[in-house]
Amino acid sequence: MGSVKVQNLVKKYDKATALKGVDLDIKEGEFYALLGPSGCGKTTTMRCIAGFEKPTSGEILIGDKVVNNVPANRRNCGMVFQSYALFPHYNVFENVAYSLNIRDLYSGSMGQRAKTFARLMSRRLSKPTKEIQRKVHDALEYVELGHLAERGVNELSGGQQQRVALARALVMEPSVLLMDEPLSNLDKKLRNTMRTTIRRIQQDLKITTIFVTHDQEEAMSMADHVAVMRDGEIVQMATPTELYSSPKDPFVADFVGSSNIYEGQVMETNAQGNPIVKITDNIHLVSDTRTDKKDVKVLVRPEGIEILRKGSTVKSENVVEAKVKISTYLGPTIRYDLELEGMDVMVEEEFQPNTTLYAEGDTVSVHLPMERVVLI
Amino acid sequence: MSNENKPKGQNSKLGDWFRTFDSLKIMKWSVYLFFFLFLVLPLFSVFLVSFTGQPVNILGSLVNPDIMATNIERLSNASLEHYQSLLGGGTYFYALRNSLGLAISVSILVILLCLPLAYAFARTTMPFKKTLAALCTIPLIVPTFISAAGFIIMFGRTGWVNTIYQSLGFDGLLINAYSMTSIVLIQVFFFFPFALWPMVAAFKIADMSLEEASNNMGSKNWTTMFFVTFPLAIPGIISAALLIFTVSFSDFGTPIILAPDGLNLIVVEAYREISGFFNWAGASILTIVMVAVAAIFFWLQRYITKNKDYGTLSGKPKGMRLNDSKWVTRSLLVYTCLILLIPMFVLLSVLVQSFATTWGADFLPRGFTIAHYATVFTRSGDNIMNSLLLAGGALLISMIVATLVSYFVVREKTSKLDFMSSIPLIVPGIALGIAYIQTFNTAPLQLTGTAFLLIVAYAIRRMPYMIRSTMGTMMAIKSDIEEAAVNLGASKLVAIITVVGPLMLPGIAAGSILVFVTVIKETSITVLMAPADWAPMSLMVFQNLLRGEVYTASAMAMLIIVLVIILQTLANKITKNSLY
Ligand SMILES: Nc1ncnc2c1ncn2[C@@H]1O[C@H](COP(=O)(O)OP(=O)(O)OP(=O)(O)O)[C@@H](O)[C@H]1O
Ligand SMILES: [Mg+2]
Repeated sequence: MGSVKVQNLVKKYDKATALKGVDLDIKEGEFYALLGPSGCGKTTTMRCIAGFEKPTSGEILIGDKVVNNVPANRRNCGMVFQSYALFPHYNVFENVAYSLNIRDLYSGSMGQRAKTFARLMSRRLSKPTKEIQRKVHDALEYVELGHLAERGVNELSGGQQQRVALARALVMEPSVLLMDEPLSNLDKKLRNTMRTTIRRIQQDLKITTIFVTHDQEEAMSMADHVAVMRDGEIVQMATPTELYSSPKDPFVADFVGSSNIYEGQVMETNAQGNPIVKITDNIHLVSDTRTDKKDVKVLVRPEGIEILRKGSTVKSENVVEAKVKISTYLGPTIRYDLELEGMDVMVEEEFQPNTTLYAEGDTVSVHLPMERVVLI
Repeated sequence: MSNENKPKGQNSKLGDWFRTFDSLKIMKWSVYLFFFLFLVLPLFSVFLVSFTGQPVNILGSLVNPDIMATNIERLSNASLEHYQSLLGGGTYFYALRNSLGLAISVSILVILLCLPLAYAFARTTMPFKKTLAALCTIPLIVPTFISAAGFIIMFGRTGWVNTIYQSLGFDGLLINAYSMTSIVLIQVFFFFPFALWPMVAAFKIADMSLEEASNNMGSKNWTTMFFVTFPLAIPGIISAALLIFTVSFSDFGTPIILAPDGLNLIVVEAYREISGFFNWAGASILTIVMVAVAAIFFWLQRYITKNKDYGTLSGKPKGMRLNDSKWVTRSLLVYTCLILLIPMFVLLSVLVQSFATTWGADFLPRGFTIAHYATVFTRSGDNIMNSLLLAGGALLISMIVATLVSYFVVREKTSKLDFMSSIPLIVPGIALGIAYIQTFNTAPLQLTGTAFLLIVAYAIRRMPYMIRSTMGTMMAIKSDIEEAAVNLGASKLVAIITVVGPLMLPGIAAGSILVFVTVIKETSITVLMAPADWAPMSLMVFQNLLRGEVYTASAMAMLIIVLVIILQTLANKITKNSLY
C-alpha cells in the first residue's frame, strides 16, 4: 500500500535536465533519505512523486498503482514543505483540519458540504464536526502542540510551525510522507530534537517516509536507507553503515563524511591475498578490499587512523611517520592535520582526559589499520 | 497482468481528459472570451469600419450568412478614402494638430513646473513635506470636468478673478475661461502630480556617487545640480513627460467644457461625430488615430523606463545628503504652496458656489444657502444610487477578472493575458466608447444603450489598475502555500477559493476601491454611453453644467469629491503604500 517505486524518472525543463533517469525502490514503512548537494534534483524528484511536476518520462508507483496521471490532490502524499507553507489566514487548528475539511467537502450531503465550505471560508460561520475535532486534537497532541490549537500560525516559533506542518500532513493519514529539507530552517539544537521527534513518529506510525536533505549527518542518523544523488542521478543506495564503510565512489565517500582520499596503484598481493597499494614510492599500504583494478582510489576515514603513543607498538605493516601541522580541539574529539610526504592526512581522535595534545612540528607514528583502508 | 491493464489504461485516459479539462481551464477560457468580446473585437471592428465607412458586424457574420454577405461586400469596398481627409488638411487634420499641440505644451509645462518641486521633495529638507505631499494628490482626485467648471467660476466673464482684475483698473479678462490657454492651465495644474512622483523617484535614484565626486572636485552646489543631477534624472523626466502627454491627449473632461467653438480637439471632434451625427467613418478614424497616438507614446514611455525601476521608493538611499540651506528650502516651500494654491482656489470656487444663492460679477456671492444640496438629495437621489450601482457592478466584474488574470499570469506565466489586460491603458475613454457603440448596436449582441455595456466598459477601462493591485498581492503569495492545499486534497479551484482568495483580499480591496473611485469620476464613457434611466452623478453634473444649472452642478460635484476622498483614504489605509 505505502511502498513507492520510481522507475527511470526523467525530468527535462526548457534549458536543463533536472533528472536523468532516477530509480528508487522504497518498501512500505521505510524511512528513506535523499541526500545530495544543492541542485542535484532532490526537490524535483520529490515534487514528481507528490504530483506537482509532470515527469518527462518514467513511471511512479505508489502502492502498486501507477500514479503518473493521478492529479496531485488525489495521491494522498502528505508533504512537509521546507518553508512549512502554513496557511497564514488560519489558526493552528484550522491548518491541521484543512485536509479533513476538504475530504468532507467532496463527500456527504449537499447541506453538509455547504457547512464545510462555510467553515473553510471563516471559522465564525460553522463549527467543526466532533470527528474533526478529535482527529486534529490527537494529531496536535502527537506533536506536543495540543495547548496551541487556537494560536495564529504567525505567533509560533519556527520549531512549533514545523510541528504544525507535520501534524497537518499526518492527520490525513497519507500513504507516503514527503519531507523536503524540513529542518533546514531551524537552529542546530532544535534540529536535533526535531530529528528525534520525526524519527519517533515515523517508527510509531510505520509510515513510508521520504526525507530530502543535503546534510549527511541528518540522513545518516535518521534514515533506514539513503540514496545519494548527483546531477540528476542516484549514485548509490544503501544503508547508512554500508554507505559510510564502503562508498561506491569518491563523491559518495566525500559526501557522507570527511575522508582522506589518495590515488594509488595495486602492486601485488601479500600472503593472505590482500592487495598492497603504492601511494608514493615510500608509502605502501595493505588493504583488505579485494579488487581487480590496478589504479584505485584509497579512502581512509579520519577516525579510522590511530596515532601511536610513545612506546606502544602494533603488529602491522601500515605504520608511517608523519608531521603534525595543526591540532584542533573540537570538544569530544581532537583533529590533527598531518603531513605525510607532502600529502595531507586528517586524523580524528577521541579526546581522553589527562593527555596532552601533540604540538605543531611533532613527529608521530600513525597506524592505518588494514580494514579501514578502503579501495574504490 | 498486462492484459488486464490495457482496457483500464484506456478508460483512465478518457477520465484524465475530463480531469485535466477542469474548472480552472474553463475559467481561463472565459477570461479570454471576455477580453476577446469586450476589448479585441470592438477595437478590431473600429479598425475595419475606418476603412469601409459603414458598420461591420463581425459577430453577426458568424451567425447569419446574409449579414456575412453584406459585410464582405462592404469590406471589398474598403478604401483609404476616409483617411485622406485626415492628411488632406480637413477638420480632422486640425483636430489632431491641436490635440498634439495641447498635449506637447502641457507635458513641457508640467515638467518645468515639477523640476523644482521634485528637487524639493527628493533632495531638500523642505518643511511640511508630508502635508504638502498629501496636498499634491488632491488635484488627481478631482474629475477634470469639475476642475473645468471651477475654472469658469474663476475666469468666466463674471468670474471672481476677472472681477478683481477689472477692479484693479485693467480692461477685459485676465484669462478667458473658454480658450486653449485655460485648457492648458487646467491640465497643467491638475495633472502635474502624475509626473511629480516619478520625477521625485528619478531624483532620488540618480547616482549619488557621481555628485559627490563632482562636489569633491570643487564644483559649487548649483553647478552640480545643473550639470550632474539633472542629466542623470533625464530618463525619468522624459518618461514622466510622455505619461503626461498620454493623459492630456486623452483627457475629455476639460476640452468638452472649455473648448471654444473655433477650437477643434480630437476627443471633442470624435464625441460630436458619434453622438451628434452618427458618422461611423469619421468616429472610427478618429478612434484609430487616438489609440495609435496613445499607443506610440505609451510604448515610448515603457521603452525608456525599461530596466529602470522607478517604482520602488524604499527609503532614502544611504549617504544621501539633503540640501538644508534655509534660503533654498524656504523659497521652495513658497513655490510649492503657490503651485498648490491654484487647484485649491479652483476647488474652493466650486465649494463656495455650491453654497451660493447667486454669484454674479462680484468677488463673493450674494448669500449662502444649503438649498442646492437639498435639491441634489431630493431630485438626484436616483443618480447617486445609479453611480453606486454602476460602480459596484464594474467593481465586481473587474474583481473577478483581475483575480483570475493575476493568478494565471503569476502562476501559469500566461503572458498573453498580461498583454491583453494592459491594452485598455492605451485606449482613451472616448475611443473605447465609440468602439463599443459601433460593435454592439446590432444583433446578436445588441447591448448599446444598456447599463450592462456601460458597466463592462467601466470594468475594462479600469482593469489595469485592478490587476496591478491584485497582481502585487498574488506575487507575494508563495506558490507552495497553494501546493500545500492541493497536497492536502483540494483541487486547484478549491485551493484558489479557500487559500489564495483570502490571502489576496488586501490587494483586491485596495484595487476595488480604486476602481470604484475612478468609475464614479469617469466622464468620457459616461457621457457617451450612459442610458437615460441609468444616469450617474457625473452625467448629472455634466448635463447641469451644459444646461447652466451651475449651483446644483457644484453641489453634486462636491458630493463626488467628498466620496472620492473618503474612498481614496480608505484605499491608502489598506495598501499602506503612501510615498512618505
Ligand atoms: N522550474 C524549473 N525550471 C528550470 N529548471 C529547474 C526548475 N526547477 C529546478 N530546475 C533545475 O533542476 C535542477 C534540480 O533542481 P532541484 O530543485 O531538484 O535541486 P535540489 O536538489 O532540490 O537542490 P537544493 O538542495 O538546492 O534544494 C537544478 O539544476 C535546477 O536549476
Ligand atoms: Mg530543494
